[in-house]
Amino acid sequence: MSKFKHFLRTVPMKLYIILAAFIVFAFFSNDFGLVDIQKTAVILAAGVDKEGDTFTLSTQIAVPQGNTAGGSATSTVTVDANGTTVSECISKIFSETGWVPKLVFCDLVILGEEAAKDNAIACFDFFLRNEYMPDSAQIAVCEGTAKELLTSTSAMDDSPTQAIQKLLTQSAQSSGKVMANTLKQFAISYYGASESGYAPYLRTAEQQSSTPGGGSAGESGGGSGSSEGNGAHEKPTVVYNAEQTALFTKGKMTGILSREETFAFSLIKGKVFAGTFTAQEQGKPVAVSILKNDGGVSLNMKSNPKAEVSVKLVLRLFNRGVPAPVNDIAEVTMSEELLQNAETVIRGYLDSLVTACKEADCDLFQLKTQLYRSSLSRFEEWKDLVPNAIETEIKTKIEKIK
Amino acid sequence: MKIKQRQLFFFLACVAPVGKLVLLPSDLVFRAKNDLIFPALANLLLQAAVIFLVLLLCKREKSLFALLEESVGRIAATIIVVILSLFLLYAAILPLNEQKLMVQSVFYDTLPSLVVFSPFFLFGAYLCSKPLFCLGRVWDILGPVAIVSFIGIIVFALGGTDFKALQPAGAAGAAGFFGGTAFTMSWFFDSVLVLSLVGKVEYKKGIAWKGLLCYLAGAAAVILFLAVFYAVYGELAVSRLFAFSKISRYFSGISVLGRIDYLFIYALGLVMAFYSVMPVQAAVDTLGDAFGHKKKLTPVLSTAFNVMFLVLAFLLNFQYQSMQKFISEYAFWIFPLFTLVLPPLFLLTRRKSRE
Repeated sequence: MSKFKHFLRTVPMKLYIILAAFIVFAFFSNDFGLVDIQKTAVILAAGVDKEGDTFTLSTQIAVPQGNTAGGSATSTVTVDANGTTVSECISKIFSETGWVPKLVFCDLVILGEEAAKDNAIACFDFFLRNEYMPDSAQIAVCEGTAKELLTSTSAMDDSPTQAIQKLLTQSAQSSGKVMANTLKQFAISYYGASESGYAPYLRTAEQQSSTPGGGSAGESGGGSGSSEGNGAHEKPTVVYNAEQTALFTKGKMTGILSREETFAFSLIKGKVFAGTFTAQEQGKPVAVSILKNDGGVSLNMKSNPKAEVSVKLVLRLFNRGVPAPVNDIAEVTMSEELLQNAETVIRGYLDSLVTACKEADCDLFQLKTQLYRSSLSRFEEWKDLVPNAIETEIKTKIEKIK
Repeated sequence: MKIKQRQLFFFLACVAPVGKLVLLPSDLVFRAKNDLIFPALANLLLQAAVIFLVLLLCKREKSLFALLEESVGRIAATIIVVILSLFLLYAAILPLNEQKLMVQSVFYDTLPSLVVFSPFFLFGAYLCSKPLFCLGRVWDILGPVAIVSFIGIIVFALGGTDFKALQPAGAAGAAGFFGGTAFTMSWFFDSVLVLSLVGKVEYKKGIAWKGLLCYLAGAAAVILFLAVFYAVYGELAVSRLFAFSKISRYFSGISVLGRIDYLFIYALGLVMAFYSVMPVQAAVDTLGDAFGHKKKLTPVLSTAFNVMFLVLAFLLNFQYQSMQKFISEYAFWIFPLFTLVLPPLFLLTRRKSRE
């Protein structure tokens, strides 16, 4: 009897130990939710196209390779699938290839031109909802389709993704030639009062050189895919260009900024350091370099709303397009004529940028957001005027190195 | 053995705020948009005021049950303590499920099975079987860990902020403020946790106002965090869950060094683990006070409650939103009743005069 009592007394502790043992067993027999690397498709970049109601998702997937002498340690495979949503495309990629698509390392999302014109947010929706997708990923729009772009053969890099990402680096932006944007920033500006945004516009240009960049391209898998491998196809190699910028209003691409306008936009953002542009002196081309750049757009609300675009630059002479005397080569200061001409050039770019934004009905400078943040009552009063029906004043202050 | 004053202050300033950094920020944005800091401030100030009053009870150096027993008799005191413990268990539902979602989402790069989180309840059962005063040493360690991690995350996040996104103040209107305040009260129950510590904290003169200042310091940290969160995400903030694990990822050094911010995220996760179990531990300890800390009572209660939460986690695995909606919206009044109205009433307890 006493043994039985003792047994009863120890039942709770025994149950606790059994439960603990069961949970520990269950825990350590689990794969911790990790997916076997051999079955994992590490997506480096995603491209989205849209035709009618059908999305096409093209994914550039990294495939680890043994490092051979002179060869690359990583090659890429491009796999695509169609569906009525982007997630359906992802599911198809999984079902057709057996690879689990993983977006943790996806740092680039490219929209085809038609998808961008239809509605970029519909394409980005999947990526914005996905907990595992970094919203710091860069975005871009491309001429033609994203599938064509991602299956092209880079003349310089192992994959188009690597080549394009190099175009969108911080140093590329410092040159003033590219205005990169991220998924997060694009979504914030879309959901904000301005409902406008931008993304770099990518073009490809064929290279005459017959030497591919070590990369790769070919067809494989799924219903539709291409893997990259040396000389699998005699596709022309291409280089990429992101010097233009696509404008978005309410999620739809409504215009494209030229190179000069993109440069002006960079100057307004105040991002340019060591970028160059060409002015004229005595009718001859002279490249000038930017040593310091400040800029911004503010909304003056004293009486009627007015946009004030300001750009401040400090310049130096960088390069002449004509032979110069030897003493001039050491010269970095600029003549007054060159300075005046540089200012005229910059003002021309800025004028052109403002006109392009108005034509595209794009609140690129987030003036409506500024208005909303400064006063709710004025926002209600002026929200239909800003940005296109208000006066824009351009202020430039251009100095030379002394 | 009692909790030292210093340890209590670590809890109020460093541990209590971390429970507000996971799902509360995005929920506040959902209800109050860019005015998210005002409802949070209102709730924190209300809690601070009640905590001040509760800490005045520490002077009597008796447990909650003992205070009640003296005042209203053993049976009534037992009933009140049981009801209070039931509330603590109810208050633990959201933090524990929040922990589960956070672990599944932040620490894994694909959605793991529920079994991954189940050992947490082993930890919970162990912790709850310990008396509350054991937490003192834990807070000594967690306090500095929380401070360093919090500073790390905020510093990493500052580079990507646009504080103008918080303007214009008052855009959400009175509905945003009152809705935001009322429907987020389920995250603010620190006053009841402190109530459960009455009689277990070493009394020293000035404990009430010092405790108040510490809680306000923690509250300031929460407000700063909310401001930084909205400044990082702007209009997108409502869709960004698990705020504390995300705002630091835009630090420019991360592209070179990798996700070093995970060091701070894991450390804060550790602090959160203790905080989310604390209501259950407080319930076990308070019931223990009422029933005389019988030998097997604490481990049995601890195991039973944690098994109950484990079962609940399995049953409600895909019902978090409905559960949160019920607790935070439909039954929101339960929280102010227990966290704001009830604790000050304990100041009215007086020893019955012997006739």
